[in-house]
Amino acid sequence: MKSLNRTVAIILGGLILVSAALAQDKGTSAKAVQRLNRAPVSREILQVKLPRPTEMKLSNGLTVLLMERHKLPTIHFSLWINASSLYDPKDAPGLAKFTADMLREGTTNRSSAQLSSEIDALGATLNANSEFGSSYTAMTGSGLAVNTEKLLDLISDMLLNPAFANDELEKYKKRQLAELEELRADPNFLAEERMYRALYANYPAAVTAPTPASVQALSAPQLKQFHDQYYVPNNALLGVVGDFDSKQMTALLEKYLGPWKNRPYTAPNLGALPASAATKVYLVDRPDSVQTNILAGELAVPRNHPDYIPLRVMNQVLGGGASARLFLNLREEKGYTYGAYSSIAADNYPRPLLANTEVRTAVTDGSMHELLGEFKRLREEPVPDAELDDSRRSMVASFALSLERNSELLDLFMRVKHNNLSPDYWDRYPAEIAKVGPDKVQSMAKKYLDPDHLQVVCVGTGKEIKDTLAKYGAVETYDVDGKRMTQ
Amino acid sequence: MKRYSAAALLVGLLFAGASLFAGDVPSLPKMEFTDTHLDNGLRVLLVPDHSAPVVAISVAYDVGSRNERPGRTGFAHLFEHMMFQGSENVGKGEHFILLENNGGDLNGTTNEDRTIYYEIVPKNQLDLILFLEADRMGKLAVNQTNLDNQRNAVQEERRLGIDNQPYGKSFLEIDSLAYDCFGYKHSTIGSMADLSAADLSDVKDFFRIYYAPNNAVLTLVGDFDPGEATAKIKKYFDSISRQPTPPPALPCEEDRYGERRETVMDPLARVPMVIAAYQVAPGNTAENYALRVLGDILGTGQSSRLYQSLIKDKQLATDVQVQTDARRGPSLMYFTATLRPGVKTDDVEKALYDMIEAVARDGVTSQEIDKVRMQNLRRQVQVRESALQVANRVGNSAVYFNDPNLINTALDKYNAITADDVKNAARKFLVPNLRAVVIASPDTHAAQAAQQGGQ
Repeated sequence: MKSLNRTVAIILGGLILVSAALAQDKGTSAKAVQRLNRAPVSREILQVKLPRPTEMKLSNGLTVLLMERHKLPTIHFSLWINASSLYDPKDAPGLAKFTADMLREGTTNRSSAQLSSEIDALGATLNANSEFGSSYTAMTGSGLAVNTEKLLDLISDMLLNPAFANDELEKYKKRQLAELEELRADPNFLAEERMYRALYANYPAAVTAPTPASVQALSAPQLKQFHDQYYVPNNALLGVVGDFDSKQMTALLEKYLGPWKNRPYTAPNLGALPASAATKVYLVDRPDSVQTNILAGELAVPRNHPDYIPLRVMNQVLGGGASARLFLNLREEKGYTYGAYSSIAADNYPRPLLANTEVRTAVTDGSMHELLGEFKRLREEPVPDAELDDSRRSMVASFALSLERNSELLDLFMRVKHNNLSPDYWDRYPAEIAKVGPDKVQSMAKKYLDPDHLQVVCVGTGKEIKDTLAKYGAVETYDVDGKRMTQ
Repeated sequence: MKRYSAAALLVGLLFAGASLFAGDVPSLPKMEFTDTHLDNGLRVLLVPDHSAPVVAISVAYDVGSRNERPGRTGFAHLFEHMMFQGSENVGKGEHFILLENNGGDLNGTTNEDRTIYYEIVPKNQLDLILFLEADRMGKLAVNQTNLDNQRNAVQEERRLGIDNQPYGKSFLEIDSLAYDCFGYKHSTIGSMADLSAADLSDVKDFFRIYYAPNNAVLTLVGDFDPGEATAKIKKYFDSISRQPTPPPALPCEEDRYGERRETVMDPLARVPMVIAAYQVAPGNTAENYALRVLGDILGTGQSSRLYQSLIKDKQLATDVQVQTDARRGPSLMYFTATLRPGVKTDDVEKALYDMIEAVARDGVTSQEIDKVRMQNLRRQVQVRESALQVANRVGNSAVYFNDPNLINTALDKYNAITADDVKNAARKFLVPNLRAVVIASPDTHAAQAAQQGGQ
């Protein structure tokens, strides 16, 4: 009851009461962990060797990974095309996304409604999707193995013969405009939008959504040109996993994807990544918020960089789950939040390491203090051996679980190929993780949780948190529409 | 492929008359299981599956938010959090640590009708998961500090999922409006005031009354030897005492009649939303299955009627979701439409009701029935991909309907639904008098005017 009264007081009393309220709501100070070590644990790490896919090339040069898995009568296709929002022209954010989305809206053989009705009749799912910031566009089709050929026929038609019809495009644009409006109500979207701007500046990965203007301006010829330019087999990777016979599958793939013609293409010059910016705190003022969404971090490395695995280990210690430091401190000890985590994104260009938590407004200061404090602890103190052992063990032992889901298993090997990792990457992974010692983790923290270059975004009720945030760096304020606010 | 054709004949009979299924359609791989009780009443379901070196456990307790009393809404879920705070031989936070650091995954989940705790681990950690579940079933340790800490965490969970999200309050309001019985009327997450009021004696009472072996179902799925697993389960669970049978949940016999409406002002939303919920038959009844089939025809996939009509053709909405509950008691069928900016909620409601009335009047087509059969087959196959999903599914149907074998028979029940069944269910349940409607309005003034107009 007490904490509720305080929340009410903040809203009614404005700024003067805020500092008082912040001083009072300290959350709890429960002990985060108590280890009794009485539970029976097998110290052996179950040795799991991931089954490797067979790699082959179709006559048109398309690289294919085939992975037969016969447990269930299902089939899953995953096609990655190396063209994405990173290739969007500056004045046309969304071009890659629109192109991918419109594949579902009709081909020269099937109307949009026909496509939908044929896909749904198979009980299948089939979509093309180009996420902002990803280095590839993914076309994914899954269904029952009995429908494999029909599904492949649909994939082929969508991929090779998109109609980009004007009437469907006009309807799509209207839906996109409405969805843009909805996105701006979502605090996670607002936090990420500001964070990626801060991290990437003028590099294409700074963009996380189309603009109303770019939606309105896009035209069918632009989409067709993007498709013609980049949707080519020599710029793509196909993976198939499930209940099939490899020889029959190869014949089917030749039949349905063989007609996909190779064409030379030139990847656009993306420019250089910006030098890492000085530490700054971005406030996105979202009035009526009852929580502050905190997102903090820095740019890290591409997936095939030697620092990637040590960074993964560091991330596991910091915020990799419910037994990591952020969760145990901010939730299990302080009671500030429902969850606090960190994650490191991976692609073939540098992606960030970011920590995130959502906390009630009154404990924004305490949460910032603890979150940045955990960064500092990693920089200044070597991780104790036992804790590091646990984190490394967790990363290796969980491999057994990845054998269950076909699409996830395939994904691991799609990444090996897409990110230019060595073919035995997953076989060597446990040994690589075992090599990462406390010194290495600490050096990673010094390098990638550098207090001089940390970017922090807070989305919340501006009038209640702005003064607090100023303690942590120069504050730049934006409204929910992404416009800079001057006061 | 051949492995599945052996049972195709049987499937063909069940699907009689469905032209799409005349060919080679796979049958559902049957999940074999054993079903026994320990002396203390704990029901044990063992589902061996050697396809991956993992083992999953699900412990489902027959208690949910419908068992709560007024003044303690949200308590079943708050209690679920306390089950991770330590027991006689497991320290606070140690549950997470032991599982995650040995390669496992875990969580708990509470709804109106049950509470489930689950883990999945590499198969060599079978003892660990049995020990952890037995220790907290038998000897939960609670203290004031941990309760205060988890109360905070749960209140943040509510803020994260409800109070700080557009439409959050409307999602709670629709249940409150649609039901009269306390058990389903109040939310599982609970009110902030009730969460604040819960004390340590509530935790102890709740544990004593509901967290007894005779009120739980343990399901084990994965790569284990059933004989060995049975011996281990006895070793860890046998000493836990049986308790008196808990009092039954308050009855939820609804006989409400008359449309109910409410407008919720939502400053966090930027576009309006319409939520219409019809009160329908309980889960695992023929009528509920018929409505779930109808839900797919109306709302699943881009070929569905509502997508094609409201989103594509009329361009009234950007998203339409249809969700049909399968509760132990009277259930709800929800229609949720996110409006395109500038569209009137009246127009969306009318378009939605027209589509529903068309079903009641003209029925559905055999192609639509065939399509949903294929979708259901795929779903039922997909559940079998993960031992954890199977464990939770089996444990859930044991607690809900005393029918763990539903994992093998649900598809038949869906496939038994005919176009006539769908039409009849729509006529009976999808009528204005069984409807509750919540309009989420981002425009404060319009919402106030609407509310005054309605009074």
